[in-house]
Formats: sequence, structure tokens, C-alpha cells
Amino acid sequence: MPDLRSLAAATPRQPGLDPRSKILVLLICSIVVMSPGGLRFVPAVLILAGGLALSARAWRRALGLAATATTMWVLGWLLPLWWPNALVAIVALTCSYLIRFVATVGVGMHLIATTSPTQLAAAFRAWRIPRPISVTLAVMLRFFPVVGAEAAAVLDAMRLRGLAGTTGLVRHPVLTLERFTVPMIAASLRASEDLSASAILRGLGSQHTPTAMHPPRFSSGDLLLMLACAALAVASLVLPAPLT
Amino acid sequence: MSVDPTTGTPPRPKPSTRFSARDLLDTAIFAVIFIVVTYATGLLGIVSPVVWLLVVPLQVVASGIPVMLFLTRVRHAGMLTLFAGVVALFYLLGGNTLLGTAWIIVLGLVAEVILWSGRYRSRWAAIWAYTVFALSFFTPFLPLLVDRDSYLADSTWTQMGSDYVNAADALLTLPVLGIVALVIVITGLLGGLLGSALLRKHFVRAGLA
Repeated sequence: MPDLRSLAAATPRQPGLDPRSKILVLLICSIVVMSPGGLRFVPAVLILAGGLALSARAWRRALGLAATATTMWVLGWLLPLWWPNALVAIVALTCSYLIRFVATVGVGMHLIATTSPTQLAAAFRAWRIPRPISVTLAVMLRFFPVVGAEAAAVLDAMRLRGLAGTTGLVRHPVLTLERFTVPMIAASLRASEDLSASAILRGLGSQHTPTAMHPPRFSSGDLLLMLACAALAVASLVLPAPLT
Repeated sequence: MSVDPTTGTPPRPKPSTRFSARDLLDTAIFAVIFIVVTYATGLLGIVSPVVWLLVVPLQVVASGIPVMLFLTRVRHAGMLTLFAGVVALFYLLGGNTLLGTAWIIVLGLVAEVILWSGRYRSRWAAIWAYTVFALSFFTPFLPLLVDRDSYLADSTWTQMGSDYVNAADALLTLPVLGIVALVIVITGLLGGLLGSALLRKHFVRAGLA
């Protein structure tokens, strides 16, 4: 058996944050933003999500986040001032509520996009989370791109045949749902068969505790993230809140 | 999975909670499908405001299909609770409240008890279990129930005049939220029935159930 320690030292450590700090930051953001009076923290969390997207060089994610947040802000705060009526009030109420989700989902997308299932499993092991929960969550992370791709493919096919869209959905809601979900589930299950077989072969169900080649460690990047979070938290508590 | 040759049905789950790797993988796959179906149905509705009102009932009905298929694959007691737990944890990371997370896990436990009372192979027990679990779609409204006063005392609302506050008040009253919960239960039952019908129409025939 080759010396694993020298092998681990030879392979470069993947750059990036410790998955544990990403999960903690996401949990804190989610709890703070969704709690009563959480609107005060939404700008800070949006800035954090944008910064994380930029740090991962995910330009499309950063742009999409900025565009969605701006749309929510315009619909929720500017539109009621220009054109006040009852319908706009309902839309504004919805958007001022949804902007909280935009902020936390922005941080969550960073976790999903930059954490590999192996890293996540190692982080959960370091936290001593029960095996059923940690394995299931790590596998879910692996399956999201697969199922997402299948869903997008089915939606594309439906659009090509003119089956997707508002009119179809309103006129035949159940039929549209059937046409979307059945092929999507069947295709996902077919794709999952191979993945499950390979996961089991690689010892996923084993009762032994595996070791990690690169155990999660607190690095300078995590320190930077913690400092940024502290600065943003202080700023949103001290500065006047732009969204009220 | 071994199938009983006399009845053609898979064996009843053992009352142990030692999950095999296969169980964990099934739970994970169906949790992902459940979440993607929920979000994709929401995306179908984002097209026009007319459909916004239909989105939650549509999501409830659509999610019935993967959950009913998942329930046919339950081989150990506790898999539905694990399913509810990982979905709740995922929603917590995706911007749910702690209250909502606890709510989903409790619903999962109640649904598990219903499923257990049908000894895990009863079609109607599965449909009722999904009807109960469908109430997890009520979680986005929970903060409005708990946090309502601070929501309406918000300066945006007072600034826009009493008309708006009254409009929002009328929109968010307890009876209206009660109706939303009732609609979710009814559509949950419909989703369970639809899922069970589609199971026979498509998945059993394709050998997936």
C-alpha cells in the first residue's frame, strides 16, 4: 500500500473556504434574514452573496443576483410610490417578502456551487453528524446537477412542442404537471442507477469511518469571510437601514 | 429488491432503523426530485401574475407524484422521517425559518406514523401520509402568522396610507390563512391520488415502482 500521507501532501489542496464555515455563514444569514425585523440585514446579506459569487469568479451568478434583487426592490419599494393601487400593493408585499429569499438563496448557491460532495461529507464527519443524515445530504448535493439537467431538458422539450407556458398550465394544469414530472422522474431515476452503483462500490454504505485526504481546516480565506461578516453585521446594525 | 412471487408485492419493511446504503441513496434522490419538482413548478408559474395564485396548489399536487413513488420504495421504518429531515435542513439553508424547519420535521414524523399504521404497504395510508406532509408547503406562511403585527407596522405600509395597510390586512387575516391551509390539505389529497394513479399508469408499467 502506498504511503497515503506522502500522496496527500503531493496532491494540491483544493482552494476555497472550509465547507463548515460556508454552512455556518449560510445558517446565520438564513436565520437572521428570516427572523422578525430581518429586512434590516437583507442588504448586508446581498452584498455578502455578491462578494462570494465574485470571489468564485461566477460572473453569471453575480449578475443574476444583482438583477433579481434590483427587480424585487423596484417592484417592492419604487412601484408602490409611483402607481399606488391595491394590486400593486399585493405585488409589493410579495416582493418585499421574496427579497429575503433572494438574499439567502444567493449565499446558498455559493455553497452548492463550490462544495464537492466529498468535502461536504468530510465536513459533516468532522462535526460528528449521524451517518444517515450526512450521507443523504452529501448524495443530495451530488444529485442536484443531474436532476436539474433532466428537468431543464424536459422543460426544453415541452417548450419545443408548445406544451409549456401559461395558457397550457391554466387550461390543463394536471396534464401539464404529468407531462413534466413523469419523464423527469423516470430520467432522473435512470441516471441515478449508475451513480448509486458507483457510490456503493466506493464504500458509501460502509460502517467504517473513512478518513479524508484533505481534512477541512480553517484557513486565511475563512478568517477573511468571518471578518467580512462581522463588518457587515456591525454596518447593518449601526447604519440606517435602506429597506424598511 | 426481492419480490414476493405469490402476491407480486415487495416485502414489508423491517421495523429496524439501520438504513442500508441503498435506502440512503433512494431518500437522497427522491428528496432532490421533490425539491426540483417544487421549484420547477414555481418557475412554470413565474411567467404571469395570473398563475401566481395557482402556484402553491400546483406545487402541492406536483410534489405528490415523487413522494408517492418514494413511499413505494420505503424499506425501513424511519425513511420518511429522514426524508422530511433532509428536506427541512435543505429548506433551512435555502431561507426557511427555524420554526418552519421544526414544522416540516414534525409533519414527517406524523406522516411516518400514518404510514406505519398502514404497515407501510397500504395505498390509502400512503395517500393520507402525503396529505399530512403536504402541509409543509404552509411553511412560507408561518412567519406571516407569527410575525404579522410587526409586518404591518412596517414603515413602508404606514407611509403608503391606510388603504394599503387595510388591503394587506384583508389579504393576511387569519381566516384567509386558514383557507390557504385548507386548500393545501385538499390539494395534498388530490396530489396523493394523482401520484397513486400515475404510479399505476406509468411507473409500475415501466418497472420503476
